[in-house]
Amino acid sequence: MTGNQFGEYQKLKAEGTYKIGADIPTITFKEIGRRGVRRYDGYEKASGKAIYTRDIQLPGMLYGRVLHSPYAHARIKKLDTSRAEALPGVRAILRYDDPEFKGMKLTGSIAAPTKMAPEVAGWALKPVKDILGDLATFEGQMVGVAVCAETEQIAVEALKLVEIEWEELPFILDAEEALKPDAYVLAPGAQSNKLEETRELIEQGDVEKGFEEADEIIEFTARRHAHLWAGAEMPCVVARWNGDRLEMWVHEQQPYLGKLILSEQLDIPMNKIHTHSPYQGCSFGERCNPPNWHQNGINTIAVLLAKNAGRPVKLLLNRAESFYGESGDMMVSHFKVGAKKEGTITAVEIKSTFAQYMCTPGIEHFIDNTRIPNLKCVGITADVSKAPAWWCRCEQLPNTFCFTLVFDHVATALGLDPTEVALKNDGCEGHDISYLTEYKGEHGFPDRDSLRECIEAGKKAIGWDGKWHPPGTLKLPNGRMHGMAFTWSHDWDDVRGTGSAAVLIQNDGTVSVIAQHSDVGVNPWTAYLQIVADELGVRYEDVEINPFDLNQGFSLMSPDGSCNLCSNGFVVKKAAQKARKRLLDLATTKFEGLTANELDIKDGIIFEKSNPKNSMPIKDVVMFAAPMLNAVEIWTEPPVLAWAWHTHGLWGQALETGRPRMCRQANFTEVEVDTDTGEIRVTKVVNVNDVGKAISPETIEGQMYGGTYMGLGRAVTEEMAWDPNTGVLLNRNLLDYKYATMLDYPPAESIIIETGLGHGPYGATGIGEDTATMIPALIGPAMYNALGIWIDEFPITPARVLKALGKA
Amino acid sequence: MGEETRKYLCPYCSNTLDTFEALKAHVVKEHKTEPLPPPEGFIRLTVNGQTYELKVEAEWTLYHLIHEKLGLTGVKMFCDRGACGSCTVIMDCRPILSCMTLAIECDGKTIETAEGIAKAKHPLIESYIKHHTMQCGYCTPGFITTAKALLDRNPDPTEEEIREALGGNLCRCGTYPQHPKAVLEAAKKLKKE
Repeated sequence: MTGNQFGEYQKLKAEGTYKIGADIPTITFKEIGRRGVRRYDGYEKASGKAIYTRDIQLPGMLYGRVLHSPYAHARIKKLDTSRAEALPGVRAILRYDDPEFKGMKLTGSIAAPTKMAPEVAGWALKPVKDILGDLATFEGQMVGVAVCAETEQIAVEALKLVEIEWEELPFILDAEEALKPDAYVLAPGAQSNKLEETRELIEQGDVEKGFEEADEIIEFTARRHAHLWAGAEMPCVVARWNGDRLEMWVHEQQPYLGKLILSEQLDIPMNKIHTHSPYQGCSFGERCNPPNWHQNGINTIAVLLAKNAGRPVKLLLNRAESFYGESGDMMVSHFKVGAKKEGTITAVEIKSTFAQYMCTPGIEHFIDNTRIPNLKCVGITADVSKAPAWWCRCEQLPNTFCFTLVFDHVATALGLDPTEVALKNDGCEGHDISYLTEYKGEHGFPDRDSLRECIEAGKKAIGWDGKWHPPGTLKLPNGRMHGMAFTWSHDWDDVRGTGSAAVLIQNDGTVSVIAQHSDVGVNPWTAYLQIVADELGVRYEDVEINPFDLNQGFSLMSPDGSCNLCSNGFVVKKAAQKARKRLLDLATTKFEGLTANELDIKDGIIFEKSNPKNSMPIKDVVMFAAPMLNAVEIWTEPPVLAWAWHTHGLWGQALETGRPRMCRQANFTEVEVDTDTGEIRVTKVVNVNDVGKAISPETIEGQMYGGTYMGLGRAVTEEMAWDPNTGVLLNRNLLDYKYATMLDYPPAESIIIETGLGHGPYGATGIGEDTATMIPALIGPAMYNALGIWIDEFPITPARVLKALGKA
Repeated sequence: MGEETRKYLCPYCSNTLDTFEALKAHVVKEHKTEPLPPPEGFIRLTVNGQTYELKVEAEWTLYHLIHEKLGLTGVKMFCDRGACGSCTVIMDCRPILSCMTLAIECDGKTIETAEGIAKAKHPLIESYIKHHTMQCGYCTPGFITTAKALLDRNPDPTEEEIREALGGNLCRCGTYPQHPKAVLEAAKKLKKE
């Protein structure tokens, strides 16, 4: 966001032309909110028919592979590709010193391609900027050479035949080491390993004053080690040239942004790039933000290989090569918190050091979510010899990490029930809950206390009042120590995306939603079709979407930041409402003497409101509304087609004081700890989410129980481990990088609360990222409750438990 | 993609025949001699009820053969080396990892993939859809084949047995709680049929 653009938003706000309030439904729900709606993608996915980028095969297609650095920090001094070139079946080789690549940097930023956001270009990419350079800044970096061949096997063989003379350079793995004054400086030309960051200091109120007002000062330090996405479908891309026209198949959350950036980078007119976005085997942020090295890089390499070889190329990364990043929460944080005896927090100060990338500073949930008046957050980011860090379901991880640990440390230090401490501090931007009550009244929202509702439901489900006990006091008959914990936060109200879609009534009365959209598994299309069906007044099974083709002109907001439904729900709703209006206007020509206001549509039948027997199926109304027919002998009418666009702009305070976060969530857990082995057994998780309005309840639950597994993996087992002697990542596979299986944890209980307090369509709010982000830190206080010892180092592995117990 | 179209040349009279089986029969009948051993790398297998005769390279995995050569996309490459179960197929009634099996060792085998299970209208497919037993869907066909193999050998599994059978299949989206529900429902439907 540049200063100028922000000014535009402020102007809109001042003029009162952009007002945000509750989205009150104007229709009766039939499909929206109903359980048992058939999943749109279900059959394809269950039957193996769903096509992902990795499944694409084209006539004459070659296979591309890229060299990945074996060293943590090294430069290529000499490169001999002659033996690889001579290998039969090799069709093209690209080298870092080829004219196509020489000096080619990643372009664009998180916001947009360079041309749209020059000030922040490269923002997401530090410290890696070369697409295929001669310098490797971490082990596993794409570097030096790319090759394509008749088979993947030949391409792999060819890379083995490349002779490289490396100059090994010093490496640093630890952020605090990297920031020492005498540390070796990793990036060429840099003065130090401290990375530029605009969010180094966030301050509100006066923390020193807050500490003076406090009865207790609580101080502690916490660490989070590296983890990553490890999505199901490994990165891949297919590129095919047809003359000067380029066709792409991408495993990518944001194909339009990817196309913009590719166009800018290789100077290809945008209308000559035809992009397909097949099904996506996970993403979690991994396959988002095309300016990132692992996307912009492989896309560009594939396009150039295809051009050189004159044949289509599928470029593939294997599983080991897919460990090319980390979540942006590799951090160590020092906390100082002031609190009154009864649980009111007076000040929070956080000082953090991040490795590679501070995906969020850690203080934002205190701002958005509490009445705490004095906040200070200092965050420094260090360059280390690891892959670039990025958002990982989701960028709120540092915020929820700090929020959970602060609240639970305060509650335990004061000997209070953490649910009480939460309720005492609930609020918004330093104001207490009455501020939100007032806002709700002014903006048409119901007056409900979301946090209290979530806590009450969760406490009941887990049996909190009967079970909650002082720390380290409950030894179970099986010999293990029992622990419980609670955390909370706001919803993910990310109604911030931009999208467009069209609704077309086909000549037989069925309905097509026209828009590209990348699905990462959150069942979005079912929800869009539910909305279109209800808004139009047609049956759910009569609505279809073909979201795999970007060339159809409309593109829905990518699934970033839980934006899927909150943004796109508005888009398809608007488009359906417009199409309905066109349809009814056309219907007035068939219902003599009636105006559109006197007509209604239900189950695909148009009828006179005051005399429902006077009716006609939609197909009879659109009988002659066809885009292409022989119009010599047949009368035709324009097709019933309407498109819409929607944006909410920034979340938070950008547009008016208020778009405060009003929905809350509460997460509870129970654990058992074996003090001899350090083993942690999570026996129960209860997630309570106020989603505002549940459009597809089963989908919401899927995000809640599904996110629990990812969250618990991050809490207990998921950790990337580097060899301190070589800087090499040791667990580049899914046996040694351990995430949850079905046998590891019991199913979580999912409780949906619907207060209508979301800013999304019909009062909905986001759910895709909440649980996976909330759960990891929750295991910290659960362990404290079990053992009476804080283990503030995540993941909390058995080794760390034993160390804390003084047994290792 | 169907069966490979190729002709088989008789080494005695240069007649061409459509299948290897036909060639063997021809040699026995016309030239009164034992058929020659099949050429190196030649295998014959049945996939989803269809017979395939083809020549495979020594390094091809069964995954490669099914996914790349037969065009059946229900086998998925996820972990890349036998850690996730997404490439599971049923081979002679047992669930096996096609990424860890060499194609050349599959001569004479009978194989079933998710596509075959769906084509046969096995109740697992509908119960998986009903229970939202997929999110991104990439691992789903591997769960389907593993679950089908379980139901084939144990038509009345307990929830614990289902969890045990599917415990080796990874799902990054965390659909785990839905699988026992879907499999139990499919088992119930099968009993009624």
